[in-house]
Amino acid sequence: MKNLTIKKITAALLWLFIGVQSTMAQDNFKLPAHTKVTYVNGLTVYFVVQKEVPLVHFRAVFPAGVRYDNQAKAGLASLTADALSTGTKRYTKAQIEETLDFIGASISNGASTESASLAATFVNKDQDQVLPILAEMITQPVFPADEFEKMSQRAIASIDQMRESPRSVINNYFNAMVYKDHPYANIASGTKNSLESIAASDLNEFYRAHYTPRGTVMAVVGDFNLLAMKQAIENLFVSWENNTPPPTPAISIKAPTEAKVVIVNKQDARETTMLIGGIGVARNTEDFIAIQVINTILGGRFTSMLNDELRVNSGLTYGARSSFNALKEGGTFNMSTFTANESTKETIALALKTYQKIFDGAVDEKTLTSAKNYVKGQFPPDYETNAAIARFYTDAFIYGIPMNYIDNFSATVDGLTVKKAKVIIERYFPKDHLQMVFIGKASLIQPLVNEYGSVKVFEITQDVYQ
Amino acid sequence: MKTQKHLLWAFLLVVQLAWAQNKASDVVSFTLKNGMKIMVLEDHSIPNANMYLFWKVGSRNEYPGITGLSHFFEHMMFNGSKKYGPKMFDRTMEAAGGSNNAYTTENLTVYSDWFPISAIETIFDLEADRIADLALDPKMIESERGVVLSERSTGLENSNFRNISEQVKGAAFLAHPYRWSVIGYESDIKNWSLEDLQDYFDTYYAPNNAVVVISGDVDVAQIKKLAIKYFEPIVSKAIPRAIHTEEPEQTGQKRVTVEKQVSTPNIMLAYHVPETKHEDYYALDLLSAILSEGNSSRFYSQLVDQTLLATSAFSYMPESIDPNLFYLYAVASPEVAPEILEKEMVQVIETIAQMGVTEKELQKVKNQKLVALYNSLETIDGKSNTLGTYELYFGDYKKMFEAPAAYEKVTTDDIKRVAQKYFNKKNSTVGYLIAPENNIK
Repeated sequence: MKNLTIKKITAALLWLFIGVQSTMAQDNFKLPAHTKVTYVNGLTVYFVVQKEVPLVHFRAVFPAGVRYDNQAKAGLASLTADALSTGTKRYTKAQIEETLDFIGASISNGASTESASLAATFVNKDQDQVLPILAEMITQPVFPADEFEKMSQRAIASIDQMRESPRSVINNYFNAMVYKDHPYANIASGTKNSLESIAASDLNEFYRAHYTPRGTVMAVVGDFNLLAMKQAIENLFVSWENNTPPPTPAISIKAPTEAKVVIVNKQDARETTMLIGGIGVARNTEDFIAIQVINTILGGRFTSMLNDELRVNSGLTYGARSSFNALKEGGTFNMSTFTANESTKETIALALKTYQKIFDGAVDEKTLTSAKNYVKGQFPPDYETNAAIARFYTDAFIYGIPMNYIDNFSATVDGLTVKKAKVIIERYFPKDHLQMVFIGKASLIQPLVNEYGSVKVFEITQDVYQ
Repeated sequence: MKTQKHLLWAFLLVVQLAWAQNKASDVVSFTLKNGMKIMVLEDHSIPNANMYLFWKVGSRNEYPGITGLSHFFEHMMFNGSKKYGPKMFDRTMEAAGGSNNAYTTENLTVYSDWFPISAIETIFDLEADRIADLALDPKMIESERGVVLSERSTGLENSNFRNISEQVKGAAFLAHPYRWSVIGYESDIKNWSLEDLQDYFDTYYAPNNAVVVISGDVDVAQIKKLAIKYFEPIVSKAIPRAIHTEEPEQTGQKRVTVEKQVSTPNIMLAYHVPETKHEDYYALDLLSAILSEGNSSRFYSQLVDQTLLATSAFSYMPESIDPNLFYLYAVASPEVAPEILEKEMVQVIETIAQMGVTEKELQKVKNQKLVALYNSLETIDGKSNTLGTYELYFGDYKKMFEAPAAYEKVTTDDIKRVAQKYFNKKNSTVGYLIAPENNIK
């Protein structure tokens, strides 16, 4: 493969390339119109009719993310979200699976840092069969003890299994370093100890506290009759009652005051996997689009500065990139790459040297124009599916993205000048006290990185992140 | 009665799909004078388009000494040609708002460009330049070796599947070039020469060895004009010599073990099965879905949910030009010995061979196949990739439109028959990926 797709790597945490196009035809590209309904219990639902294919995508997002976990029972938010499909008042796990599988419907449920979600895609004529099941999963899950026991055992086993791949754990170390005491540092999977201490009753308790119509957003996108769908959703969810979630203490995300390095020893490592960065921005930052354009230049596309230097010019790695992972209250920024054990030193130095260039005027007129065209040209396919449109509406609700975000996008991209780019770089790209994580052979890495900050060493098999 | 209800349901679904999805006649197909075949599907839902170029060359065209060269060549196609020198392919495309990627398999090398419609002519110009006049630069070859070695290493570092499949393929195939991995042997990556690359280009990168698929906000007449202007002048070449090596019939079970620091064993079973054009393909593909599509599938319910022997399990059968492998994969739960899990995996498939599957189970996977095809046609990207896949592996893009009917024809007897025919011990290769400390026997 020429390069790993960026979508695969950064997954759900951020939208890297958002843009609208500037030519005549491209200006016509708009999100389809929506109908927004807020029910008496506080539930917000967006309906978008899209007649292109006879499918419906349903997406529900709950204020029940990993950030609401506590240390002692870390992993509870994920287990609760996963367990929504293990049985409801009227349906067993097997019944849910057999019914949905038979009609080719797919569902996915789980928790991310900010929120939990349940999504489904099905053929529109099966609406009356699928929606009541989804509604029960959301409003009347029972968390059966036997199913919980099996799920818990698998979760505990997965803790060691995920540590077999540096790429699947490196972000956890980085987030722990950067977010420190803020709950965004919480690890979705928990630890073996914390998982051992969770019982099925804890899921019930977490569910009652965090799965409430007020604060939940749904989006239904696809080929359906609007009036009938609105009625169906109302019937299924209007009696869903609110509970009062426990207050969440306000903790601010502070920029690090000291450069720090974490080394994670992997005895049989062939290569060093690394992340370098710091504090980023909240998703609703008004400069978010401008930040994305600049990041495209630094590490958001194939010809980006990082990929050009580390891959194309020097052959040190298969890929190097940078990204902003933006959540509601703040976010992180990082550069990521990997290289053979023996080229670790050279790669770190070149990554830092390349990063420095954005502060030294590397973003010129020509580069900026190219990045603006790229961001705009790659935009429409991001909104081609029902699922992508549903995600836009639920994200907008959760993160406070203005609804005119899409309509103003083209103008915002076009309005970015070299002069303004400079301000954006100084303001949002962390310059000092960089935080670094290296996973590889510690004995080899440690002497190379002492100069970059105070060093802490972990074993990859150790079940801790900080 | 139950059966009839399911058939009726399937009929309704087929009708519905036919109503909304494209028809075979929506695809315009033409062949240029140099033998390059082009397919166009207009879709004006977004102001974008894509171009997929499928080249009939993959790791099956290699031999020891140049293993991995097809994939390396895929990388070199981005490193400079006559008009657009090193770096200029990507720079020009991205500045015009486009992006690209490429992948190589055992059978094919596939390039894709995704772009706003305003960039269509630039895309033709860029592709034509590298197809006609690739300029292999020794300096770029050297830096690309590092890139590909890193790609190989990062795959092995992060993927257990990658580690074990390399060894299982090597054991399962005695003669056929499917025995090595697409990325190739490390020593070959380090040692092939500029001449090897030039030979490969001269042999396989001929317009008459390619199929091009374009979908999106295009106009067929405009595409024809651009294809004639940019692609037709490229000179055709002799058809590459066919791969004549046939894998001899396996004469007994083969077993391999790979030691790696893993917390629990990973097990791969591989069975020789025929090529995609074979009449048993649809039954085998449905069998794979019965084994591992959704939580009600046999593998999930028996290995993961009921016996708790595995934390995950799946099956996989790649599309293939020559006879290839059907893979079964499972990751053991803690404290579960690989022998126990292997026995249970074999048991699942033997039960199907002996008892067959239910009508309802078969109808379920047929329904899933339809919705999956439908999902893949939701985007212009999925349209191009799927049309190309059918053209190359099934021999005709029209087969994509006939796929629902082909699946519908498969009976429970067919499923039982293919399970008996291919899933026997003599035809199997077993791979264990286990921690060194668990391999002291």
